[in-house]
Amino acid sequence: MNWDYLFVQVANGAVIGVIYALIAVGVTLIFSILKIVNFAHGDLYMLGGYCGYYIITLLAFPPLVAMFASMAVLFALGILLERSLLTPLYSDRTERKDEYGLIVTFGLAFFLRNIAIILFGPFPLKPPSFVPGVQHFGSFIVTNDRLFAGGFGIVIILALLYFMHRTIWGQALDAVSQSRDSAAIIGINAKRFNSLAFGIGAALAAGAGALIAPIFSLAPDMGVLPNIHAYVIVILGGMGSVAGSIIAGILLGESESLFTAFFPDPTRAFAYTNAFGVLVLMVVLIFRPQGLFGRRHLRME
Amino acid sequence: MRGLHIYIQVGVTALALTYAPQLNSYWMHVAIIAMFYAILSSSWSLLAGYAGLFSLGHMAFASIGGYTSALLVQWYGIPIPLGMAAGVVMCCVLGGLIGWVCLRMSGPYLAIFTLGFAEIVRITFSTEDDITAGMAGLHTERLFNTSSRLPFFYTAFLLLALSLLIMGLIVRSRWGLYLRALREDEQAAEASGVPVARFRILIFAIASGFAGLAGGFYAHYIGILTPSLGGLDLMAILVVMCVIGGMERLPTAVGGAFVVEYLLEALRAYEQWRFPIFGILLLLTMRFARNGLLTPLWLQFVRLGETRASAAIAARDVPQKDSSA
Repeated sequence: MNWDYLFVQVANGAVIGVIYALIAVGVTLIFSILKIVNFAHGDLYMLGGYCGYYIITLLAFPPLVAMFASMAVLFALGILLERSLLTPLYSDRTERKDEYGLIVTFGLAFFLRNIAIILFGPFPLKPPSFVPGVQHFGSFIVTNDRLFAGGFGIVIILALLYFMHRTIWGQALDAVSQSRDSAAIIGINAKRFNSLAFGIGAALAAGAGALIAPIFSLAPDMGVLPNIHAYVIVILGGMGSVAGSIIAGILLGESESLFTAFFPDPTRAFAYTNAFGVLVLMVVLIFRPQGLFGRRHLRME
Repeated sequence: MRGLHIYIQVGVTALALTYAPQLNSYWMHVAIIAMFYAILSSSWSLLAGYAGLFSLGHMAFASIGGYTSALLVQWYGIPIPLGMAAGVVMCCVLGGLIGWVCLRMSGPYLAIFTLGFAEIVRITFSTEDDITAGMAGLHTERLFNTSSRLPFFYTAFLLLALSLLIMGLIVRSRWGLYLRALREDEQAAEASGVPVARFRILIFAIASGFAGLAGGFYAHYIGILTPSLGGLDLMAILVVMCVIGGMERLPTAVGGAFVVEYLLEALRAYEQWRFPIFGILLLLTMRFARNGLLTPLWLQFVRLGETRASAAIAARDVPQKDSSA
């Protein structure tokens, strides 16, 4: 076994894991507040990537600024979508809310994916690098973009953790996730936090999309597999647990990367890497549906 | 006159069958594909609309049925109907297995699980290209060796009629009641004596079997099979059909399939815009007319010829007596 190769694979796995974690944290946040699984999350990630691309190419902003701008745009879009499509979830007159949330977000994903083909074209696009150049590890290389994406992904996650635990809004979000009624009693406007949670989730996905864009190219269907990976992570880490998502994200990125490295048939390794993540998901759902770090009050019933 | 709507349905169907040979080849193709989708949408409505089990793997089962049949026919040279039957059996077994595995999963978990299953099936079919020919497409033998589409039309009609007959009997029997109980509240259903676990497995197996039947027919009609048959876009189109029609009744789900397939062809000039348009239509229907656009029409239609006194519409699909235990 070549140690340099192994090291590069581990580094790549960690980077992908951080990106997965960013997407998954959004899914978990939306689930813990709105009590729905967002099937359109991967498509928000895709939109975030394209949004960053067009801000760089059309407005000539530097990549890092474009990433923040793209997060802001998707934050607004997330709130817009939540306000226009998901409000029936909060009404007592809606029956079988699970079903409603599921079909609406699944339909939204279908719409976004296909409108993206029209608006952005079916061909892959590649924005300029954040940091051009490569790092050498023996005979193998890791691009600076990967290191940057991993590093900045961690920064965003830390900022989110700070927001969730150290600010009054974050604490209010947590309160709403634990009990909507008790939160309302102490004067928290739960409606506003529905929007906030969806907006933050969308913004995190956009950040992930913008960070990953220079590494893998942008394509209208790029969100499908990360979306499923986000479910793997969220279910592995426990629905509603932000910390669990982060750990599980990196775990999944690593195990996939090593799976690729050790898969006997290299021509098929990449295709089956994606299937591997899904397989993990199915196994976890069968044997431990509450996840490894699930919070009890957030079990889905 | 009670049951007027049944006579009208029979009459219209008979008329359609008589005049089918007049259709030009293109519209006959559209009608055949619509019937293919109608089998899928009605069986999905059995699963999702009646029992509340949101499987996103329905198209994956269609693709499994199609590949099973096509490959068996190719390898062993067995007759095509036998191959299709094998596809159905395969889908029933796999569907039952999936149903058994996700017994404890509810709503979104089930959807995620079946979505994962569908992706694995799609990835496997496109990666194992020395067996399935991957994205290049597997050439399959056609059911009839003619250039005319008429025999396919009648076969599709027969399959659809057979499927609807079986599903209609299921829905009208005591089982139909069980299914709805399952959807509304599983624990209450269990407490009232519904064998929930056995039933979830059974309904998964049955619905998947119909998906496999549709897939097998499709494979031997089109003559080429690609893994995208089991992809997410077609699954979404299936959901669009059921939701726009109304997924809580079989006839409206079938109607949805016909309407959407017709629109897909009629809007062909708009090419790529069709999918986003249907996406918006789905969202609007869910948001403002959740029972589906065809449901009110269907209820009106069923009521035709009934006097006010006998209008027990709500109980139409529910058995009146305990005769069918």
